[in-house]
Amino acid sequence: MLKKIIDEVKSLSIGYYILAVIAAAGLSVAGYRLYAGLGTTTNLSKAFPWGVWISFDLSTVAFSGGAFTLAALVYVFHLHELHSAVRPTVLVGLIGYASVLLILFMDLGRWDRFYHFLIYPNLNSALFEVSWCIMLYSTILIYELSPVLLKNSRWSGAIKIIEKWTIPMVIAGVTLSTLHQSSLGTLFIVMSPRLHALWHSMLLPVFFLISSLAAGLAMVIAGAILSYWIFKRTLAENVQAELAWFIPWILSIYLVLKVGELEITDELHLLFSSGKYSTLYLTELALLVVPLILFAIKRVRHSRGWSLTGAAFVLAGVVLNRFNASWFAIKPVAGEMYSPSWMEVAILIGVLATAVLAYSLIAHYFPLFEETVPVERPPKRQPSLAQTGD
Amino acid sequence: MSETTSNGNEYGFLIDASRCIDCRACLVACSVENEVPMETTRIWIQETGVQGEFPNLARFSAPYHCMHCDDPSCVSACTVGALQKGDDGIVTYDQDRCIGCRYCMYACPFQVPNYEWKEQLPLIVKCDMCVSRLSDGHSIPACAATCPTDAIIFGKKSDMLAEAHRRIDQNPGKFMNHVYGETENGGTATFYISPVPFAELGFPAADEASPAYFNRLVTHGTPTVAGAVAVGLSSVYLTIKHHAEATAQGVGAAHGQNQAGPNEAEGAVVGTAVPQNPDLPQAAQGQEA
Repeated sequence: MLKKIIDEVKSLSIGYYILAVIAAAGLSVAGYRLYAGLGTTTNLSKAFPWGVWISFDLSTVAFSGGAFTLAALVYVFHLHELHSAVRPTVLVGLIGYASVLLILFMDLGRWDRFYHFLIYPNLNSALFEVSWCIMLYSTILIYELSPVLLKNSRWSGAIKIIEKWTIPMVIAGVTLSTLHQSSLGTLFIVMSPRLHALWHSMLLPVFFLISSLAAGLAMVIAGAILSYWIFKRTLAENVQAELAWFIPWILSIYLVLKVGELEITDELHLLFSSGKYSTLYLTELALLVVPLILFAIKRVRHSRGWSLTGAAFVLAGVVLNRFNASWFAIKPVAGEMYSPSWMEVAILIGVLATAVLAYSLIAHYFPLFEETVPVERPPKRQPSLAQTGD
Repeated sequence: MSETTSNGNEYGFLIDASRCIDCRACLVACSVENEVPMETTRIWIQETGVQGEFPNLARFSAPYHCMHCDDPSCVSACTVGALQKGDDGIVTYDQDRCIGCRYCMYACPFQVPNYEWKEQLPLIVKCDMCVSRLSDGHSIPACAATCPTDAIIFGKKSDMLAEAHRRIDQNPGKFMNHVYGETENGGTATFYISPVPFAELGFPAADEASPAYFNRLVTHGTPTVAGAVAVGLSSVYLTIKHHAEATAQGVGAAHGQNQAGPNEAEGAVVGTAVPQNPDLPQAAQGQEA
């Protein structure tokens, strides 16, 4: 048995080893952080008690929004032709949430009491709601993924029972996602004295929810195109194009609401008069206007290269938004600014490497891409004589 | 707008910047009373720096600690309810509950909560009006008891506010006509009077409404939103399912085929979807069939 495992590990390609080394290095720094405390390992301060970890968490939760968006489209709205994208997306979501939980654990000064949110509720706290929703939703993602993990095992009989409850679980999952995606925006409502007026808004929860739909779909598309190159499996072109079709609609609603809210609250003039903050905000808008136009073009939705470009713009725009709301657009106190320490960055890289490694290993050993389309090899690998003989 | 209403029993501070001589005895008293190191005391000094031209120089200072807001943002924010507002007006901190998420530090409009950054397992540092002293029969908090110039006085909140206005009214020209803390962040239990504008002392310009109120507007809507989303999604699911079944049965009757029954509606829908996807691999079609 042991020999079998060793042989199996030996058979893995060099990429797995590189990821494992980075992950191990990053996670060792994480261990040191838990031992040494926040002050000695991070650049967090009284003026900036939250840093790059929170920005990473917000971005990753938005990226993982594909899982609930797709589940809603396929199961609730009965768009079953998109079903082939569900499994890889649910796995991206699950691994995304696992990374967020890991980083949140790093971020807790009293990580030894992480379970306190279960026993000491504060119903007014957005962070309390986010903690509960993320915990419950991660459980649902495991449930949604379990048929893939169980399929070739001796417990495959359980799949039938699991799938019977898919619809109620999906509806619970989409509800929980709606709640916590929006509550991550609510988090910043109480921070009005610190967050710049261009970002602070009573509509923050709505903005966060809508942008997570776009980021989630962009992540599905980007993932499908990347796995075209890495795992040689991808989504059928019409599935990918149909997913992309939603993006201009979502982005239009998002941008109209964002700019409209500035107009209504009489803050539109800040767009051009706030120096560094204006630049950040306008960059954010520009990064989302480009994919809005791109994905409105049919040829783009059917082209892998162009779709990847469009998806990259959406993801960049949403990442910048989350970093702005939680870091760049937080007004400094007495000129004090924040930039992360090398250990904060090293831990992030370690967690990211762990996430990619986990995804690759599950994709390698479990029937994750069963419904996806194998990439057709260029002619040189096919026996050319036999082909012409046909 | 405030969730808490006055019951007349709240404690309060009055801090007079014209009396503060920046001796920092209050910091030492706080440090000793609460057993915290000097760099993370619950009280510190805000000051103007030297103002004016020689020889007419002036420098003003004032001790600064938790304002004990009527509707505290930190209490609204705290994930685990470690921060609470009592009937006595004190915003207390339960260090056995705190998980160290530091949301209160960002939520506070006065940047009051401090953190034991150097500790391995750090806690929040914040004034609790020396609540243990009050209950032990000591009449007032350590900082107010120590202050040699009575720059900090402590008592009933309503008395403190009345005294602040009395000093401003009876000393025309001596103070700015502004009691800091009376309306800031929806009202607080710590009142300041000062000969110079509070901005020069480095006090933040807080709004008259507490952000905690706007936070509750949203978080209190959560159960409604959750219910609406769950009901909405279920109805969309059932409506489309019903429609698909009706269509499938209609088609089945027309062609005389053996179509899927109502409880296999999903299979029926997937079945009709397959021909639209000629590029699906065999594995997928086999699985869906």
